[in-house]
Amino acid sequence: MASKFWTQGGSDTEEEETDIEDEIENGGAGETTAAAAGSRYLQTNASDSDDSDGQKRVVRSAKDKRFEEMASTVDQMKNAMKINDWVSLQESFDKINKQLEKVMRVTESDRVPNLYIKCLVMLEDFLAEALANKEAKKKMSSSNHKALNAMKQKLKKNNKQYEELINKYRENPESEEEKLEDEDEDEDEDESGSELEDPSQIAAESSDEDDEGEDVDDDDADGAWEKKLSKKEKLMDREFKKDPSEITWDTVNKKFKEVVAARGRKGTGKFEQVEQLTFLTKVAKTPAQKLEILFSVISAQFDVNPGLSGHMPINVWKKCVQNMLVILDILVQYPNIVVDDMVEPDENETQKGADYDGTIRVWGNLVAFLERIDNEFFKSLQCIDPHTREYVERLRDEPLFLVLAQNVQEYLERIGDLKSAAKVALRRVELVYYKPQEVYDAMRQLAVLSEDGEKDGDETKVEETWGTSAFVVTPELVSRKLTFPENSRALMDILVTLIYKSGDERTKARAMLCDIYHHALFDEFSIARDLLLMSHLQDTIQHMDVSTQILFNRAMAQVGLCAFRVGLIAEGHGCLSELYSGGRVKELLAQGVSQSRYHEKTPEQERLERRRQMPYHMHINLELLEAVHLICAMLLEVPNMAANSLDAKRKVISKTFRRLLEVSERQPFTGPPENVRDHVMAATRALCKGDFQKAFDVINSLDVWKLLRNRESVLEMLKAKIKEEALRTYLFTYCFSYDTLGLDQLTKMFDLSDAQIHSIVSKMLVNEELHASWDQPTRCIIFHDVEYSRLQALAFQLTEKLSILAESNERAVEARFGGGGLDLPLRRRDNQEYAAGTAGGGGGRWPDLSYNQGRQGSSGRAAYTGGGRPLALGQASRDRSSQSRGTGGYSGRAGSGMRGYQMDASARMVSLSRGVRG
Amino acid sequence: MANSMAKSFLQAAATEEVVSPLRVVQIEGLVILKIIKHCKEFSPALVTGQLLGLDVGSVLEVTNCFPFPIREEDEEIEADGANYQLEMMRCLREVNVDNNTVGWYQSTILGSYQTVELIETFMNYQENIRRCVCIIYDPSRSNQGVLALKALKLSDSFMELYRANSFTGEKLREKNLSWMDIFEEIPIKVSNSALISAFMTELESDTPVTQCDYDRLQLSSNPYMERNMEFLIECMDDLSVEQQKFQFYYRSLSRQQAQQQAWLQKRRADNMQRKAAGEDPLPEEDPSNPIFKPIPEPSRLESFLITNQIANYCNQINGVSGQSFNRLYLMKSLHDN
Repeated sequence: MASKFWTQGGSDTEEEETDIEDEIENGGAGETTAAAAGSRYLQTNASDSDDSDGQKRVVRSAKDKRFEEMASTVDQMKNAMKINDWVSLQESFDKINKQLEKVMRVTESDRVPNLYIKCLVMLEDFLAEALANKEAKKKMSSSNHKALNAMKQKLKKNNKQYEELINKYRENPESEEEKLEDEDEDEDEDESGSELEDPSQIAAESSDEDDEGEDVDDDDADGAWEKKLSKKEKLMDREFKKDPSEITWDTVNKKFKEVVAARGRKGTGKFEQVEQLTFLTKVAKTPAQKLEILFSVISAQFDVNPGLSGHMPINVWKKCVQNMLVILDILVQYPNIVVDDMVEPDENETQKGADYDGTIRVWGNLVAFLERIDNEFFKSLQCIDPHTREYVERLRDEPLFLVLAQNVQEYLERIGDLKSAAKVALRRVELVYYKPQEVYDAMRQLAVLSEDGEKDGDETKVEETWGTSAFVVTPELVSRKLTFPENSRALMDILVTLIYKSGDERTKARAMLCDIYHHALFDEFSIARDLLLMSHLQDTIQHMDVSTQILFNRAMAQVGLCAFRVGLIAEGHGCLSELYSGGRVKELLAQGVSQSRYHEKTPEQERLERRRQMPYHMHINLELLEAVHLICAMLLEVPNMAANSLDAKRKVISKTFRRLLEVSERQPFTGPPENVRDHVMAATRALCKGDFQKAFDVINSLDVWKLLRNRESVLEMLKAKIKEEALRTYLFTYCFSYDTLGLDQLTKMFDLSDAQIHSIVSKMLVNEELHASWDQPTRCIIFHDVEYSRLQALAFQLTEKLSILAESNERAVEARFGGGGLDLPLRRRDNQEYAAGTAGGGGGRWPDLSYNQGRQGSSGRAAYTGGGRPLALGQASRDRSSQSRGTGGYSGRAGSGMRGYQMDASARMVSLSRGVRG
Repeated sequence: MANSMAKSFLQAAATEEVVSPLRVVQIEGLVILKIIKHCKEFSPALVTGQLLGLDVGSVLEVTNCFPFPIREEDEEIEADGANYQLEMMRCLREVNVDNNTVGWYQSTILGSYQTVELIETFMNYQENIRRCVCIIYDPSRSNQGVLALKALKLSDSFMELYRANSFTGEKLREKNLSWMDIFEEIPIKVSNSALISAFMTELESDTPVTQCDYDRLQLSSNPYMERNMEFLIECMDDLSVEQQKFQFYYRSLSRQQAQQQAWLQKRRADNMQRKAAGEDPLPEEDPSNPIFKPIPEPSRLESFLITNQIANYCNQINGVSGQSFNRLYLMKSLHDN
């Protein structure tokens, strides 16, 4: 049915259009009427009444629309009555009540429309009839019966409100109807007699001719709505149904002002306004005027957008882009027209014709429009479900925008507005930066393909919309073709250089981040890193807006992935660990919302967050990211843990990883790995034993690797790394068990070459991680047993603490005499160091702690005063409790003695090496 | 007789004006043995007891003592403890022993006694008895063959400050009080009655070397040193925390000062304008403004105590290691022989 309606609607408008054309073509025939209308218009033109006239008309349309909806509902009710369908009748009744509210709101009166009363009466009658007919009632289905009863109740309740009106109507239905018509007539000025505009009339008609099919009824109702639009156009036309020569700049301007003034008012149809304005562009007299009107068209098109959260309808968006292109055409054609939003242009500026020599200023802001269009595109991608075809279709519109952006940028560059050009360039950059070369190529191909396809379609469309009736014909001067460099890098370079030269701070920062992202995408880690470090973005990013921060996070994630791909494990971990430290990766990358248990978000926050989300095609794969992060952490942490096996708290590289490991170790049974985390944990377990082959196999079985471009080489690298770390772990773990260890043995065990093992072990020796030496002739590692006494270890710890204390003392003195010694970064570093220091001291920490308590409580004992003074109870009891704890700690001391002893053996090693370095 | 008594009270009242400083604590040998026995038996738990005796001029005589029962985790026994104390005193009075409280004794582990609680107790005692001492016995240290007994009192200037509860840097500087001046150590003199001395000489064996001397030759000093080190490290941590408190204080202070300056400048500018406009100037101080609320300076007491404690540990380490060297050299020469 819908399709039928649409076709009919479509044909309707076409008819109307052809009508107009006819009329314009054979001006002779229509001249009399047109002239009459025109003259009338001109007469009233001077007075203000015209303004209000136009306004009223617009208001009426909304009202009519409501009435029509109501009428259509009444029709549906009638149909339902015919087939005795109480269920649908009930639905319709609810609907009409809702519509009634709307109608009342629109008309802003408290009088209930007659149509509604009539409907109520009709329902009442029908209900009485149905109730009287006992037999039919029995035959009804149960649901129908139920609906009937419900309806009875509802109607009773509802009708009470309108009792008076209903009674009045029952007395003389005719007069009511007539009165209604009169009223409508008043509003409707001169027409509508012949048309089916009056809703009551429709209703009356259809109620009279009950045998008419329901299809017809429906069509009538909906068709009227469609006609309404066309009527609008007609109304417009009425004023311009005359010779082109007779339309003056003034008339167009007047009309334009009128339409613009109605914008945003209650009851102004957004679509209609677009239509009206679009029509006006056809009749604009001068290019400047056309430009001005086009700007308004685009603004009106933006208005169509239903709200902040929703996106602009796609077809409107496309038209919007087309309009922008036309604007550019005009601007290129008439270089003397300047678009500016700073100065309020003179009223009659646009009167100056095409042959005017000086500059013509027109109000407007190309960049703002362009950015808005881009935002709408972005929003639409956010809203559309990424797994549908619609999303893909939408993505295909991207070249369309790129063409526009390119042209705008070229134009801006030509007129020398480089700052704005930089902004536009940024928009382009933001569309390109996340695309790997393959995607970029695909986009280029698409652009080329669609070009050929669209060429014809475009022309016809242009002809249709602008062609015949436009007074100011704008040739397509601006190319509708994308000129892409072969390589996305080249494109990025061009754009980014422009931005660096002339963009403002934010634009530059964003461009820089995009640039970094793009470099990282292409495995150019060192360039990306240098850019990041040179720009000092890390320091300033906290002060930037949220979307830039998200971009920064994305760039960091990509740099981390890149570092991993090129085999820089530590760097990769450095980039990614921060993202994962809070457990809110999704939010940080704006790729979804994670639910927090402890913190309820307000709806406002939630909405904001949703608006920040990245569209699906820009996502960084989270699984891959997690895998990379955890693998990096594993490769760093496993040897580290082995090195400090007895003092687990000593040096933690990745807290996240440690926590995961703890969780997985606590499980009583470990099943086969399922997600990324399980895989890495399984690999960790293998790696801890030095079993590199198994570790690699587990990692290799992850299916995220297929997302990598150079999968083979990455896995090869990974395998080498795992082998190396397995060797290191093995040496750390079992060095106590060996006196000597043969090189050949190691080569066999870890499948590494002699040279590799030699270099790894030597590195460990140099870093004093391993206390051993090479014995070249026998190709052996000889381990030295270096065991410090506990006392020595403690002494080391003490010196460490002392140095910290001395340092901060110095700084305090400095602050007193020299000023800025207590700078924030300095302090932060100090704190970290201090934290490390205390963590370092944690070896035998808990027994010490209880000592401390014992010590504190010791003197509390003496609180029994000689004079027998009553004691402060609170204090005394506290003392007591601490005392008892103190003794507990003491007795526990003996047990932990052994452990503490061993613990420090490892702690010492590191602190010694620190001392050497320091 | 009664007259002379009254006179002696009068004299006592008169002499109070010129209190001679406490020079020495004279302890009966029996009391020391009782303290040692009590502390050692309960070690490593910490115990306390009451000291009884007489205050004679510059000498504080400690003639008797009794231990406090070990307290348990119960509120009721709390009152029992005080009752026990009173009851004990009453009994002692009945048998006509010295029952004048002169202080208390307590055991400690490795000399870690310098705490706020100790000072609080001291102040409590001080309210009732002008001359009071705290005898501290360290059983762990005594294992090394030393009689680790100390008599302590708080210095007068410190007590004054403590009563005023103002341990700001300024006040401390005014009083010229450093961390060393919190506690005063009073020399202990052990006295025995002639009868006991005679009995002891009777008991003394022929060899001049006693068990105590053997203890002194113990070579293993490691556990002791280790424990000291641990405590030392802990103290450093505490000290760092204190230091951070100060840093924080200074930072907020400087920030506040900057704010105040800014506010003042603004106010002055305003006033200039008002002057120009012929209005009365606004006051240059606004006590209701939160930026003028002084930030409380953290107390130095804790850091002083910690410093004291550190000094104490260092002394112990010094002493023990010096002795250990001697012993080692002795051993070496013995071996060589």
